[in-house]
Amino acid sequence: MTRARPLVTDMIGGLVFTIIGVAGLIESLRMPRFENRNADPFTVPGLTPGLLSTVLAVLGVALIARAMAGRGGATPLPILNWSAGSATRMIFTLVTVMTYGFVLFGNVPFIIATTLFVFIFTIGAELLNPQRKLSLPKLCIGALVLGLCSAFVVRFVFVQIFLVRLPG
Amino acid sequence: MDGLFHFLNAVAAIGLSADIFVVIWATLLGIVIGMIPGLTATLGVALVTTLTFTMQPNTAILVLICVYIGAIYGGGRTAILLNIPGTPANAASVLDGFPLAKTGRAGEAMAIATTGSFLGSIVGMLGLAIVAPWLAEFALDFTSFEFFWLAVFGIVLCGQLTAMDDPLKGWIAGFFGLLIAMVGQESLHAYARFSYGVPNLEGGFGLLPVLVGAFGCAEVFVVMRQEATQLVASKVGNVLSAALSSLRYTRTWLRSGAIGTFMGVVPGVGEDMGAWVSYAAAKRASKTPEEFGRGSPDGLLAAETGNNAAVPGALIPVLTLAIPGSAPAAVLLAAMIIHGLRPGPLIMITQADFFYSVVAMVFWASCAMLVLGLLLTRPLLYVLKIRREWLMGVIFVLCVVGSFAIAGRIFDVWVMIGFGLIGFLMRETGFPVAPMILGVVLGPILDNNLRRSLSISQGNPVDFVTRPISAIIAGMVLLIVLFSLPAVQRAVRAALSRIASPVKNNGHG
Repeated sequence: MTRARPLVTDMIGGLVFTIIGVAGLIESLRMPRFENRNADPFTVPGLTPGLLSTVLAVLGVALIARAMAGRGGATPLPILNWSAGSATRMIFTLVTVMTYGFVLFGNVPFIIATTLFVFIFTIGAELLNPQRKLSLPKLCIGALVLGLCSAFVVRFVFVQIFLVRLPG
Repeated sequence: MDGLFHFLNAVAAIGLSADIFVVIWATLLGIVIGMIPGLTATLGVALVTTLTFTMQPNTAILVLICVYIGAIYGGGRTAILLNIPGTPANAASVLDGFPLAKTGRAGEAMAIATTGSFLGSIVGMLGLAIVAPWLAEFALDFTSFEFFWLAVFGIVLCGQLTAMDDPLKGWIAGFFGLLIAMVGQESLHAYARFSYGVPNLEGGFGLLPVLVGAFGCAEVFVVMRQEATQLVASKVGNVLSAALSSLRYTRTWLRSGAIGTFMGVVPGVGEDMGAWVSYAAAKRASKTPEEFGRGSPDGLLAAETGNNAAVPGALIPVLTLAIPGSAPAAVLLAAMIIHGLRPGPLIMITQADFFYSVVAMVFWASCAMLVLGLLLTRPLLYVLKIRREWLMGVIFVLCVVGSFAIAGRIFDVWVMIGFGLIGFLMRETGFPVAPMILGVVLGPILDNNLRRSLSISQGNPVDFVTRPISAIIAGMVLLIVLFSLPAVQRAVRAALSRIASPVKNNGHG
C-alpha cells in the first residue's frame, strides 16, 4: 500500500469536516440576535456554534493542507484494507440492521419484527462464514429458536419488568 | 476520620443488605460483557442503564459501577485467550497475556490479570476517596471562566491522548462532538439551533442513543467486518497460587495503580490510556525490558492494574466536576442525572453520603471481581466460545430497544443507527470516537459558560486569561497544542540536544 491512499483519505476527511464547519458557520450567522428583546450580544444563540464551526473548518483545512503537503497518513487506516469477505459481511449487516431499525421496528409487531431480524441475521451471517459447522436445517432451527427467545425475553424484560411500552 | 467513618458505614450498608447479591450478578454480567469480543464496557454500561430506570438511584448506580469494573476486567480474558482485546482497555494486555497463554501458562496469565485488576481498583478507590473531596472543595472556587477552559482542556487533551500519532484528527473529532451538542434548544433564549422546524431535533440528540450508537451499533459493524477469531487455550492450571505469587511485583502494581488513576482523572481519556501508559512505565522501570511483549508477567500485571485503576479515577471528575473521565464514565454521568443525582462541586456538601456510597460500591465490585475471577475461571471459558454470528443480531436488538426505552421515541433509534454509522466511518478513517463523545457531553457546559463569561466580562477576552486558575488551564491548553506541532517538537529536540551535548562532552572529558 502506498502512502498516497491514506493521504487521499485524509484529504476527503478534511474536506468533509471543512464543509460541516463552513455550513455550521453560515447557519450560526443566520441565527437570531434578539435585538428587539435588548438581548446581551454576548449571549446570542449563534455565538458558540459559530466559534466551534470556525475552529472545525480551520482544523479541516489544516488536515487537507497537511495531506496536500504529503505529511501525515502514516497510520494504517482500516478503510484501505477490505477483503471480499469483509465487504460482503458489511453489506449484509448494513442492509439487515437498517431494515430492522428503520422499517420493521415500530411498524411491525415487536415479536414478529425481532424474530424475523434475528433469524435472518443469524442465518445470513453463518452462511457467509467459511468456518460454518452446522448443516442448513440445524442452522435454521437454531436461528428460529434464538429469534423467538430473544424477542420474548427482551419484550418480557422491558415491558413487564421495566414498564416500557414497545412500539408495533 | 469522618470520611473513613462514612466509608465504613457505606461498606456495611451494602455488605449487610440484599445489595450484596446485586454486586455479585452485576459484576458477573460485566465480566461476561467484557469477555465477549465486540461488547465494550461503554456498550455494557449504556445498555444496562436502560434496565435500571425503575431501580432506586443508589442500586442503579451500584449495578452500573459493578458492570463497568467487571467489563474492564473481563476484557483481559479475551486478550489472553483470543489474542484480541475484549474491550479497548485491554489492548495492552494482549502483548504479554497472549504469549503467556501460547506457552501453556494461560491460568497464570489469568491469575495475574485478576490480581492486577483487583489491586488497580483498590489503588484507584483510595485515589477516589482521597482526591475527590479535595478536588470538589477546590472546584467550589471555579466560576464560568474556569469551567469554560476545563471543557476546552478536556477536548484538547482527550484529542491529543486518544490519537497520539495524529492529534489533529483527535481535535477534529472533539470539536465535531461539541458542534453536535449544539443541535437543539439552547438554555439562555430557548432558541432551537440547527433544528429546521423538526420537533425531534429541537430536543437535541440524547446522550444515551448517541453513546449506544457510537460504541454499540458501530461495534456490531466493526465485529462483522473482521475475520472470525479462534480460542487458543482452553486449559488452565492452578490459578490461586499464581494469583498469590503475582503480589510480589509490589512496585509494578503500586506504580501502575497510581498512573491508571491519574489517567482516569484526565477527561475523556480513560482505561485504555491507563493501561498503555502503565505498561510503558513498567517496561522502562524493568530490569528485563526485552521480555516485554514476549510473555512478561510484569507487563501483563502493569496493563491490567493500569486499566482497572482508571475506573475509579474516571469517577473523580464525574462526581466532583460533572465531567467524565472516560467513555463509560460519560454513560454513568448520564445515568446519575437520569436518576436525579446531581454530581458536581457541591457533591461533598449536598450528597456526601452518596459520594462515600460510590467509594464503597467500587470496593465491593472489586472484591466480587476478584472472587468471581478466581473461582469461575473454567466456566467463564465457555463465554469465549459464543460465536459472533449468533450474538451480534441480539446485541443490535438490545441497542435498538435500549435507545427507544429512554424516551419512547423512534427518533432515538434513528439517531443511534446514524451515530453507529458515523462511529464506524470515523474508526475506519483513523478519527478517534472518544473525543467526539466527550464533545457531546461537554458541549452544553462549554456553551453556557462561554456565553455567561462573555456577558460578565462585557466581551473582554482578557478576563479569560487573567484569573489565576483560568490562566493555568489556558496555559496547559496552549502547551498541549504547541507541543503537538512538528516544528515546535523539532525545536525542542534541537534545544535539548544542544543542552545535552556539552554535558556529555564534559562527562567524557
